[in-house]
Amino acid sequence: MDKILAKKDFPRWLEALGAYDVYAPQLIDDVWNYELAADPKAVSLDYPQTAIPAKKIVFPQREFFFEFREADTDDYKLKELLPEGKPTVIFGVRACEGKAVTLTDLVFGGEIADDYYWKRRNAAVLVGLACASPPSTNCFCLSVNGSPHSKEGLDVLMTDLGDQYYVEILTDKGKKLVSEGGAIFHEAKPPDKKAAEKIHADSEKKLARELKNIKDVPAKLKGMFASPFWDDESMSCIRCGICTYLCPTCHCFDINDEVESQTPLAGRRVRTWDTCQFPDFTMHSSGHNPRPDKAARLRQRINHKFQYFVEVWQNYQCTGCGRCITLCPVGIDIIKVVEKVRDHAS
Amino acid sequence: MVKHEDVRAEAKKLLESGKVKYIIAYELGADGWKANPVFIKKPEDVDKIIWGPTCFHNLVRFVVDEKRRKVQQKNPDTRPVGVMVKGCDSRAIVILLQEKFIERKDVHIIGVSCEKTGVIDERKLANKLKGRKAKNVEFGPDENFVVTTEEGTVDLPASEIMADRCLECIAHVPVITDVLFGEKTKRTVPHPFGSVEKIETLSSEDRWKFWSEQLEKCVRCYACRSVCPMCYCDECVADTITFAVSPDTTAEEKAQKIKWLDKSPVISENIFYHMVRAIHLAGRCIDCGECERACPVNIPLRMLNKKLEKEAKLLFGYDVGFDPEKPALISCFRDEDPEDFIR
Repeated sequence: MDKILAKKDFPRWLEALGAYDVYAPQLIDDVWNYELAADPKAVSLDYPQTAIPAKKIVFPQREFFFEFREADTDDYKLKELLPEGKPTVIFGVRACEGKAVTLTDLVFGGEIADDYYWKRRNAAVLVGLACASPPSTNCFCLSVNGSPHSKEGLDVLMTDLGDQYYVEILTDKGKKLVSEGGAIFHEAKPPDKKAAEKIHADSEKKLARELKNIKDVPAKLKGMFASPFWDDESMSCIRCGICTYLCPTCHCFDINDEVESQTPLAGRRVRTWDTCQFPDFTMHSSGHNPRPDKAARLRQRINHKFQYFVEVWQNYQCTGCGRCITLCPVGIDIIKVVEKVRDHAS
Repeated sequence: MVKHEDVRAEAKKLLESGKVKYIIAYELGADGWKANPVFIKKPEDVDKIIWGPTCFHNLVRFVVDEKRRKVQQKNPDTRPVGVMVKGCDSRAIVILLQEKFIERKDVHIIGVSCEKTGVIDERKLANKLKGRKAKNVEFGPDENFVVTTEEGTVDLPASEIMADRCLECIAHVPVITDVLFGEKTKRTVPHPFGSVEKIETLSSEDRWKFWSEQLEKCVRCYACRSVCPMCYCDECVADTITFAVSPDTTAEEKAQKIKWLDKSPVISENIFYHMVRAIHLAGRCIDCGECERACPVNIPLRMLNKKLEKEAKLLFGYDVGFDPEKPALISCFRDEDPEDFIR
């Protein structure tokens, strides 16, 4: 049964979550990001869009695999460093980000599951916040199988009804989280449900951007691999990592040994984010680089999201959050690029 | 006031006569109010060109790309590229000439004067508009901007929404051009180093705390390096490929190569990266402020560069990026240079 939570009671819910690491959007130096909430009273869900997506909590930019230490004999002592999987709750997750996590689940799941990812993922409760109006001028979730109030990947979905939230419990994890709040939640009544449904329906009409008729784009991209199109489109790319690091679905990583002592040799094996936009991403140890220029790297980003991922998982690897457009220092616009692919004479 | 039509007419003339290969300019972005870089190759496309307070980008960055492309081509087209520059951007060309990265004949410089203002700071504007979305921003008749939102038009003074770099600008008129649009207005800058004055008064502990907190935020996307026209090294310590490999290179040599910094976005590595970036720009940074604008987490990177610009000025009387005939700060020694740091 759906619930109602008065906004004034929201901090009380947070206070009741002492067993969890609580993340919520916070404004630091004029930039919104999901950060650990030290003071429940200071948490506001009245925010537009974070710069760094919630993926950083389930898939941190840096994590440890194991530590190594040279032993007396000709051997190394190894110790696995699995995350402890502390219960974590993320408030204010947008629909596009919840959906993005389900796509990353596909990549790190399946036959060979990534334990490091799943320890955190299984411990995380995603509390969504429906977008009454688009948080960014570049939102286009409706065009890529999403919606501003999608429940995909979320455990709870909250909808702002003015002085209260309409709370939909979507999973067992969500049920447990809401039960922590106890009596502050009330049963929702039919008019509340109607109000939430109206906000959801209206929100779909407010998106400023769309990417239409892209059904044939995956096939089209296949035929454009060697096209000079990519040279033209990438002319203004400066080769930074913003579009991928800040993408909620990008999940590429690098693995390095970080040496902390030479004698005895000791350190840790570390996983960090990596991106196809950096030249060394595809650098072979021979010195050959199969993706030699920014044209090849832009092509990779688009192809991965709109061809390869579709071929493997039957979904776009883009949830339309618009961050790569908003934050690109030179205005490279994934909507424009994909539209041009769609309209390209093959 | 600079008129779009005049710049477009000049661009058309240049392309029709074949005097330039293409023109690096500004066009209106898909959001309908902010400028983006554009590469105009055909005379019929010149109407895309715009000029306004959202022309943030230092387009000289793409002159660097052009040079890189040219060295890889067998028979490169040796005609110059046209490039639209603001005052600050033009100083980047001076540096590239001083350092002999490009030659004067490689560029046809289309200068635009920022006249009474400069470019806006998007974050300052967003704070000012409190949730309303900008639809258009234009230069006002005086030291102001005219901002249009869905709720109408407001006049905002430059002091409130202009970028810090422009508030401290010492070259609002391009210093080197082939053609100049706009007036050579006079402007006084009471505090050219205002942005570093406050932090200079802090104790070293407080400064350390400030920078530790700021650099902790860094996600190492390298946008600050990538957007900078002065960061043109083929090899960078921040990348893992700083080592030329041949078929004869042994596995041992590859394994032994120096790794200057780890990929992990932790404070030690972040500080190291940002120190390298800042120091390499000493006497070279022309304060276009692009590093700070590009930063997705709003680290005040300009402050680091500004401090070094101030050192160059106070210690060596050096003004960065004004005279292409002058030697670069780092590559010259004069008898009168201070030596009191040698003990």
